Amino acid sequence: MTVFKTFWKIVNRYKFTVILYTVILIIFATANMQTSDTNTNFVASKPDILIINNDKDEKITENLINYIKNNSNIVDIKKDDEAINDALFYRDVNYIIYIPENYGNDFLDGKNPEIKIKSTGDYNSSLAEMMLSRYVKVANIYLNQTKNEDELISKINDTLKENTKTEVTSKLNTDELSRAVFYYNFLNYSIIAGLVYIICLILSTFREEKIRKRTIISSMNYKKHNMQLLISNGILSVILWIFYVILSFVLIGDVMFTSHGLILIANSFVFSICALCIAFLIANIVSNKNAINGIVNVVGLGSSFLCGAFVPVEWLPDTVLKIAHILPSYWFIQNNEIVKTLEEVNMENLKPIFVNMFIVLAFSILYIIIANIISKKKRKIA
Amino acid sequence: MFIHNFKYSLKTLFKNKSLIFWTFAFPIILGTFFNMAFSNIESSEKLEIIDIAIVDNDDFKSNEVLKTAFEELSDENNKDRMFNTKYVSENEAKDLLDKDEISGYLLVDGEDNKIVVKQNGINETIFKYVTEEISNNAKIINDIAKREIEKEAISGNMNINYEEIYKDALELIQNQDVNLKDISNKNLSYTMIEFYTLIAMSCLYGGILAMASINQNLANMTSQGKRISVSPISKLKIVFSSILASYLAQLIGVAILFVYTIFALKVDYGDNLLLVILLGIIGSLSGLSLGLVVGTCLKTNENTKTGVLLAVTMLGCFLSGMMGITMKYIVDKNVPIINKINPASMITDGFYSLYYYDTLDRYLFNIISLLIFSGIMILISYVSLRRQKYDSI
Amino acid sequence: MEKVIEVKNLTKKYKDLMAIDNLSFDVKEGEILGLLGPNGSGKSTTINCILSLLNYMSGSIKIFGKDMKPDSYDIKSKIGVIFQDVAVFDELTVYENIDYFCGLYIKDKKTRKKYIEDAIELVGIGEFTKFRPKQLSGGLLRRLNIACGIAHKPKLIFLDEPTVAVDPQSRNNILDGIKKLRDLGATIVYTTHYMEEVELLCDRIIILDKGKILAEGTSDTLKGLAKVEEKVTVEVNNLDEKYINEIKNLSVVDNIKYDSNILTIYYKEGKNNLVELMEILKKNNVKYNKIYSERPTLNDVFLELTGKELRD
Repeated sequence: MTVFKTFWKIVNRYKFTVILYTVILIIFATANMQTSDTNTNFVASKPDILIINNDKDEKITENLINYIKNNSNIVDIKKDDEAINDALFYRDVNYIIYIPENYGNDFLDGKNPEIKIKSTGDYNSSLAEMMLSRYVKVANIYLNQTKNEDELISKINDTLKENTKTEVTSKLNTDELSRAVFYYNFLNYSIIAGLVYIICLILSTFREEKIRKRTIISSMNYKKHNMQLLISNGILSVILWIFYVILSFVLIGDVMFTSHGLILIANSFVFSICALCIAFLIANIVSNKNAINGIVNVVGLGSSFLCGAFVPVEWLPDTVLKIAHILPSYWFIQNNEIVKTLEEVNMENLKPIFVNMFIVLAFSILYIIIANIISKKKRKIA
Repeated sequence: MFIHNFKYSLKTLFKNKSLIFWTFAFPIILGTFFNMAFSNIESSEKLEIIDIAIVDNDDFKSNEVLKTAFEELSDENNKDRMFNTKYVSENEAKDLLDKDEISGYLLVDGEDNKIVVKQNGINETIFKYVTEEISNNAKIINDIAKREIEKEAISGNMNINYEEIYKDALELIQNQDVNLKDISNKNLSYTMIEFYTLIAMSCLYGGILAMASINQNLANMTSQGKRISVSPISKLKIVFSSILASYLAQLIGVAILFVYTIFALKVDYGDNLLLVILLGIIGSLSGLSLGLVVGTCLKTNENTKTGVLLAVTMLGCFLSGMMGITMKYIVDKNVPIINKINPASMITDGFYSLYYYDTLDRYLFNIISLLIFSGIMILISYVSLRRQKYDSI
Repeated sequence: MEKVIEVKNLTKKYKDLMAIDNLSFDVKEGEILGLLGPNGSGKSTTINCILSLLNYMSGSIKIFGKDMKPDSYDIKSKIGVIFQDVAVFDELTVYENIDYFCGLYIKDKKTRKKYIEDAIELVGIGEFTKFRPKQLSGGLLRRLNIACGIAHKPKLIFLDEPTVAVDPQSRNNILDGIKKLRDLGATIVYTTHYMEEVELLCDRIIILDKGKILAEGTSDTLKGLAKVEEKVTVEVNNLDEKYINEIKNLSVVDNIKYDSNILTIYYKEGKNNLVELMEILKKNNVKYNKIYSERPTLNDVFLELTGKELRD
């Protein structure tokens, strides 16, 4: 019991570190979930377009603007060059259309006036350009047929009318679910930077050379000592894990109460176990507190970047993902990603999830074995 | 004296492993991660060839326009190829969609085209969009052809060459020249911002070096400082020499990071290398001045000071877009004042304006802001350093 | 002899705590002055004030006849200080540390090299010059700490508890070194709460408590302040009350204590007391295990002046 009690006394010493880390994680996680709505969530199928109209109120120009408006999100940006350029760079707008002076009349005169555009070059801007080209093409074709402005407009609009039905088969609440998955992917960083760091700090206190010498010569069995440490750490991990789960309910809401949410929670629990083992391993390899800070940061950021905790998995280069296979974080995040596309929860569909969980557990066992080998060797040297 | 202290300050800085890790190695490691994670983002935002299926029923087979259009758009030799198309039965199409092997499939039913997709997404939207365009074209062709035929009929020409008319109409569509001119700035790679914030972080982390080296001179921080205080050396002189040493160490670190990002990570800083270097030097100065203020003004131990400096740096980098590039834009747009006093953002914005803008106004504005920031910070530190005696040690 | 330090009416407060209370004393050239006092008596604070590291409320401090200020560099160049904490860079080797601190005083490289070697020899750490401070044992570290403070051959040296937590071998080495420095002509101010060191080393002693001077003088004059001249201790089992009273009634006995089979007798005068006592015990057939006599120590003086022990 003495190890157990001392453990919690030390946790108490580090409580400000714990609180600090948690607050930072909440800020980063929530802030990232906000910004990711526009950034990573590619559900938006309408490009963001800005139209700068230098023409007078010509009917034909109006019609072009209306067409674009109906098929895209018109973005409102301060009309100054710098603000517009910034907006384009940061993808606040995908496509900018500069309608030149006297466009309407020049068009009707068959001059095919030049339209200046600015484009980010991504798929949204390609879509915008397809839209604009299509309109101009159709307009030009019918201009050959009729010079009557009203007839022309009605011809154009009639042609461009939507004529393809679309059926969406998936009934998943993808919006909320992808937010939940984002949160749980981000948890990879939170768990490693928070949980692993704190456990490593506490363990390093126990492993500090003078204290370790005392422990080794004490009458307490070395295995029993380690066992008590492991149990205390387990309890701490569970507490932190529960905290993260509660936080997800607060931040995400409804979808967490579905069976999809349950899988995410279970998956994060398995990963917490693995994180505990990682912490044990790191604490066994290094005992210097500064070094622990460095290693945990590198491991946390590294696994998060390589396995897709920060950047959506589908955007990572294949080689990076191949390297990521050797990290448990990869399997943890893969599971979250499976949940995102899981239509129906049944044994058949759950199988790959269980396999991934098993792999994460296998990593945990591996880490524990290595940690024990190292700590056994160190016991003799000290 | 000056050189004696300078030499030893450099020596102590470079032998402090954790200092060197955080200021030298950590930005490089982080940059490598950035590179691995972000290298694909922008290319994956470009249109890829989309996997689709078309239900191969009689209605589709008889629709010439759709058939030829999709054949052309799926042709491997076409440089504008958009689709990888499978022609299958409806059940097979459903199956493929379930397994996520295709983005969606097209079902032609008489006059109606139906697109079946799993979710709303960009590929799905484009699929739908292209299908619409094709059927639009079909409509236009019919429209024009009908008119031509009517015209011919009215003029009494009984020998109408239908094929010719359709061909002409098709050509008319294909030869439409859309007069667009792209005037976008050429440097649009927004992931560069990540690397700019990284340089900013490295510049500000340099403040830890300044802080560590100044702590060695302060009697209330370290016992070495006490010893220096009782030696016959002017405190400002020795502090100045230590700071200069830390500045040199910091510049070496930033220079290494520059070299690494340029040659290993292929980060693009624009064309004006001299101005980039100038920004690095002044950015480092702002980090140094921040370290000085934290080192001289806060009455606490070294660990807390380091913590404060790291927290300020990370917050600054967060606001200038390190953890999500849009964050900088959101702050710039809504509360610009925050980023006007945030040195990390000034550095990032300086690199950004060099990279993205052709004019130097914005760059110079950032340089001047950084100089003002550094000046104020150094002045504050100077005032607090002039105090030579302490109430308690 | 010339006065090297003159402290007049020095007063320093930490919030409500009076750390130094109207303190005045002089240090004369060539002497070793011991500042003796329990923990928290104001020894280090006094030294830090003299060195102009701390603000003080009132009083004046002169060193070598001049006012001491933070920028009195001519004075500072003649001073060497060894602080209570080990003040060295962990990142530098033993040699580099001494070189750095010596370099703050001595510009000429040749002279400096000679001085550093002298300092290394004086404290006896010649085998360890390439070591980092972390690799040194506590005693060696203290010696390095001293070498850093005296390498520039100062005329006035402050040593603030240089022997705290030091093994006997290193302690003797340090004390010998201090004597050597004095013999070379340095004036030394030495603070400690080990009275043995003070007795062994110091020409003059000032006893401090709660920021005030309790007594001042040589070791012998201070001991003369004590009422007791001799203390005799006897280990004896179950001593009868009447014998205790018999001893107590002797005219030379000041006080007597009997506690857990140990009899302690304090004598006002110090002649033949032990023989007399043994005769009384023999006469009464009292069996005793051990008997020994002690001269009063500075601790006894301190105990008498303040009612508490020097060391807690």
